[in-house]
Amino acid sequence: MGQIRQIAIYGKGGIGKSTTTQNLTAGLVELGKKVMVVGCDPKADSTRLLLGGLAQKTVLDTLREEGDGVVLSRILKEGYGGTRCVESGGPEPGVGCAGRGIITSIGLLENLGAYTEDLDYVFYDVLGDVVCGGFAMPIREGKAKEIYIVASGEMMALYAANNIAKGIKRYAKTGGVRIGGIICNSRNVDRELDLLRAFSKELGTKLLYFVPRDNIVQHAEINRKTVIEYRPDSNQANEYRSLAQAIIDNQDFTIPTPMEQERLEEILLEFGLMNIKDDYKI
Amino acid sequence: MAFQLSGSNLGTRENRLGSITGYVGDLEDLASQSKCGTLTGCSRCFSQSSTCLSGCALGQLGGIRDVAIIHHGPAGCSATASSQYIVTNQVAAKRGVVNSSVYIGTDMDENDTIFGSTDALAEIILEVNRRYHPKAIFVSSSCATGIIGEDIDSVVDEVKEAIPVPVIAVHCEGFKSRIWATGFDISDHAVLSGIVEPPRKKQNTINFKNFYESARNEIIEMFQNFDLEPVFLYANATVEELKHLSEAVATTCICGTLGNYLGNGLEEVYGVPYIRTINPLGITGFETWLREIGRVAGKQPQVERYIEEQRNIYIPQIEAVKKELKGLKAVLGMGPGYTFEVTRVLNELGIEVVWALAWHYDKRYENGEIPPAMSYLLENDINFEASVADQQNFEVMNILNKFRPDLYLSRHPGSTVWAIKQGTPAVYVADEYMIFGYKHTLEFAHAILDTIRNRSFEQNLAKRVKLPYTDWWYQQEVGKFLEEAIS
Repeated sequence: MGQIRQIAIYGKGGIGKSTTTQNLTAGLVELGKKVMVVGCDPKADSTRLLLGGLAQKTVLDTLREEGDGVVLSRILKEGYGGTRCVESGGPEPGVGCAGRGIITSIGLLENLGAYTEDLDYVFYDVLGDVVCGGFAMPIREGKAKEIYIVASGEMMALYAANNIAKGIKRYAKTGGVRIGGIICNSRNVDRELDLLRAFSKELGTKLLYFVPRDNIVQHAEINRKTVIEYRPDSNQANEYRSLAQAIIDNQDFTIPTPMEQERLEEILLEFGLMNIKDDYKI
Repeated sequence: MAFQLSGSNLGTRENRLGSITGYVGDLEDLASQSKCGTLTGCSRCFSQSSTCLSGCALGQLGGIRDVAIIHHGPAGCSATASSQYIVTNQVAAKRGVVNSSVYIGTDMDENDTIFGSTDALAEIILEVNRRYHPKAIFVSSSCATGIIGEDIDSVVDEVKEAIPVPVIAVHCEGFKSRIWATGFDISDHAVLSGIVEPPRKKQNTINFKNFYESARNEIIEMFQNFDLEPVFLYANATVEELKHLSEAVATTCICGTLGNYLGNGLEEVYGVPYIRTINPLGITGFETWLREIGRVAGKQPQVERYIEEQRNIYIPQIEAVKKELKGLKAVLGMGPGYTFEVTRVLNELGIEVVWALAWHYDKRYENGEIPPAMSYLLENDINFEASVADQQNFEVMNILNKFRPDLYLSRHPGSTVWAIKQGTPAVYVADEYMIFGYKHTLEFAHAILDTIRNRSFEQNLAKRVKLPYTDWWYQQEVGKFLEEAIS
């Protein structure tokens, strides 16, 4: 087997990182790939669709309750198609330090031997923006080498993506991390595809895949399933299969070139607002 | 400045007083830049020493009798507890009292850092109260709790109801200030905001902020001449004494760095006059200080009588020693509360100060004025080269090597040893009352004389000791590692 491709998925809070990661994971396992998903969010909902619920015991809860004697089987659960699922977990909102939790959690997974040689992919699903050192942990010290940023045509999503790119650039020299592309989780805003292409180009990367908006995703989520499991024959399931293939085939890894705020706004103006009459229908 | 006693946190010395730790120049420049507001501190690209402000803050509070210090942080943060116990017990034994204060670390671990540990902290506070029945509990933060934003204030508020004595949050994140003396202010703030009560009746007490009350008996005796009773702070003070600080006739201190926050706070909040003269070191210092106390307390005739009496005894003796000290050259390195005071005394004794180092420098005190010791020197046309260095020994050694003075004086452990190894006789001004009043000024003059009279020890030691400093370093300017001033 080749080297494990360790991939971190970043993006603004609520953009659909967990949904995208799990659906593309389902696409990968269909193709026979061995995948581990590490949820790096205190909410511990990054593997819900793969596991069919939130039954997962998080790494940090287990560590807290059981002390140093944690065994891998307590925190690693098998989900859809043999996916290995881990949730880092973290403190209650407003207390403690979630960033430190991620550092501890990933360290523990390594010590417990979670990264076995038969794995093809490890995905880190990281919450929100790279607000502090802890959330940059998956891209430091040579862990995840590939980053995909989930974004949409909304201004704040792109603003967050640009910030994340700054974090990637910071660690690009020492940790060897590279950006693999932008995944658009469409919000159906005007000229979204053009905007995302221009944005990606300016960021020194490419738009890896454009996932159209489809209500079937919400239905699958309510049923605690990925779209591929819930409606394998749907169009959206095929979109996620194509996304999985795009990841497999991707060979363009670059050091991002984050923008100044002014340039970002220029691009938004060019593709977001110009030549469009004020029409607030959604 | 307006004292905000409703909150548990306060600004750093850098923010409140414009304090700096990096400067090379002379006294006049330092003072004029302070006055016109252009003084900006330099940082160092190489720094050899510093210390955490929590040591100053909790060392002060832990000296109060029968209290508990709870240091909420990883085990290493409370590493100073052992030396704290030694000092506290020794200072208590010296006075013949028992101090049952305890210093407890919460041993914060990885899980506590991730999940927060306010529940555990609340339990620890309650348990400390059950086990030791302290008269007050100080709950301190650390760097780790500061970074994760542990809400110590809420925990303190919560447990207060179940504990009959004051429970006070103390914010000691070490990274927030380069100046350890910020810790003195933090301790004063805790006492002012958490223990001192509004005055009920005026008393004939005088709040005397010092370190270890070594001259306690003679000061009590002296103040008896003026019907005043000193209350020494904080070592060996009781919580009951602290509650009544607001009822005193005045507040004074042996060191401006140490007493500035409490003195100004008590004056602003409770109208207790703060004695803002130069400090009672040397003849001029002592007389100026005592006369101001006499004025504030309405005891001027008694003070004048006392001064005359004492002068008759000591001035002739001091004048006699002065003849032998005349023309000596000295370098000194101390905290700013002493540097410019001791400089004045040396000048008074006929010793020329060629360079003075202050471990930090406060641009102004809490009342907005430049420190009185500085003003005095400037008004009397005394100028010399000066630098600000947070006990950077390599800079001290560079200066000593350049000037080869007759004498080096320092107030901090270890500093004088280095000078002696280089061949410079040194006086360790360890005790805060070493130059207090006439008697100790005379003793101080004799101590200097004894030190410089026979220099063979220093000379022989220097010949046999190899110091780590290279010739290259000795040829550099002392400010070599200072970076451009940050505005």
